[in-house]
Amino acid sequence: MEQALLQFSQFTGIFAFMNSPWGWPVVESLHFFGLSLLIGTVGVFDLRMLGFGAGISYQFLHQLVPIGVFGYALNVTTGTMFLSSAPDQYLYNPAFQTKIGFMLVAGANMMWFYVTTSSKVRDTKDFGMVSARAKAIAFVSLACWCGVIICGRLITYFRPPYHWCFWC
Amino acid sequence: MLHCGKYLEGGSDLHTLARLEETGLSIMLRESGLAFFSSLTLHSLAMAFVVGINLALAFSLLGVIPSLLHSRFRPFLSFHWWAVGLIFLSGVALLIAYPAKALTNPVFYLKFFALSVGLLITWRLQRSKGMKILESSAVGARPGNAKSIGAAMLLCWMTTIGAGRFLAYTHSVLLASRFF
Repeated sequence: MEQALLQFSQFTGIFAFMNSPWGWPVVESLHFFGLSLLIGTVGVFDLRMLGFGAGISYQFLHQLVPIGVFGYALNVTTGTMFLSSAPDQYLYNPAFQTKIGFMLVAGANMMWFYVTTSSKVRDTKDFGMVSARAKAIAFVSLACWCGVIICGRLITYFRPPYHWCFWC
Repeated sequence: MLHCGKYLEGGSDLHTLARLEETGLSIMLRESGLAFFSSLTLHSLAMAFVVGINLALAFSLLGVIPSLLHSRFRPFLSFHWWAVGLIFLSGVALLIAYPAKALTNPVFYLKFFALSVGLLITWRLQRSKGMKILESSAVGARPGNAKSIGAAMLLCWMTTIGAGRFLAYTHSVLLASRFF
C-alpha cells in the first residue's frame, strides 16, 4: 500500500510539489482552511440543533452545509496529498488511524442524520427544539470534528515505531 | 525573513528572550508534553471555530451563502469571542514556551496583524455597521459595501491561517538560550 501511494504521488506530480520549499505549508494552510469551513458551517448547524442561537431557522442554517461539503472535499484532497507523499508517516501512526476513525464515525453519523432526522429538523419552527435523537447526532458530529482536529495535531507529535498499527 | 543575526548584533533582545526561556513557566510549557500539546490543541480548536465563523460571515457578505447578518446570529458571535479569548491564552502559552521562535520571525507579526484586523472587522460589523442596522431587517439583508468587507475578511483569515502554518517552517531561531 505504501508503495502504491508513493507511486501515485510521484506519477501525478504531487510528490514533487509537496517536497518543494512551499509545498507542505501551502497544503497545510489549505487543509486548515477546509477544516475551518467545515466547523463554521456544519459546526454551527450542530450547535443550533443543540439549542444554541434559538430563533435562527434550521432550514436557513442548513443552506450553509454546501460550504461545509466544499471544506470537506478540500480536506480529503489535501489529506490525500499528505498521505501519498509520506505514507510511512501516516499509515502506521495511531493518531492518523484514530483521525480516520473519527471521520468514518462522522460520515456514518451524517448519513444517519439524513436518513432518519433531517426532514423533521428542517420542519422544526425557529424557536422550536429538535428531538433527542437529532441532539445526539449533533453532539456526536461536534465531538468527532473536535477529535479530528486533536488527532490531526497529534500526528506531528507522535511518530510511532513503524510496526505499530491496528491491523498489523 | 528577520534573521537572528540582527538580534545577535545587539545581543540584548536575544538575552531577554533567553532569560524568558529560562523561567520555570517556560520550561514547564516546553518540556511537559501535556502542557505544550494541550496549548497547541486548544489553539487549533479555538482557531478552527473562530476562523470558521468568520469565513461563514465572509461568504455570507460575498453573497455565496444567505446573509448571517441578523441579530439572532449574535449568540454564535458571543461564543466566538470566548473562543478568541482561548486563542489568546493558548497563544500566550505557546509564546512563553518558545518566545524566540515566534518573536524573531516576521511571519508571527504578519499572523498577529491579520488576526487583529480580521477580529476588528468582525467587531465593527457586530457593533456598528452590521447587526444593529440590520436588526429589524429580514434574514438575507446585507450592507451596501458587503462585498468589500467580505473580501477583506476572507483575505485576513486566509493570511492568518497561512502565516500560522508557515510559522513552523520559517523560524530562524528556536531557542535564544542556545546562543549563550
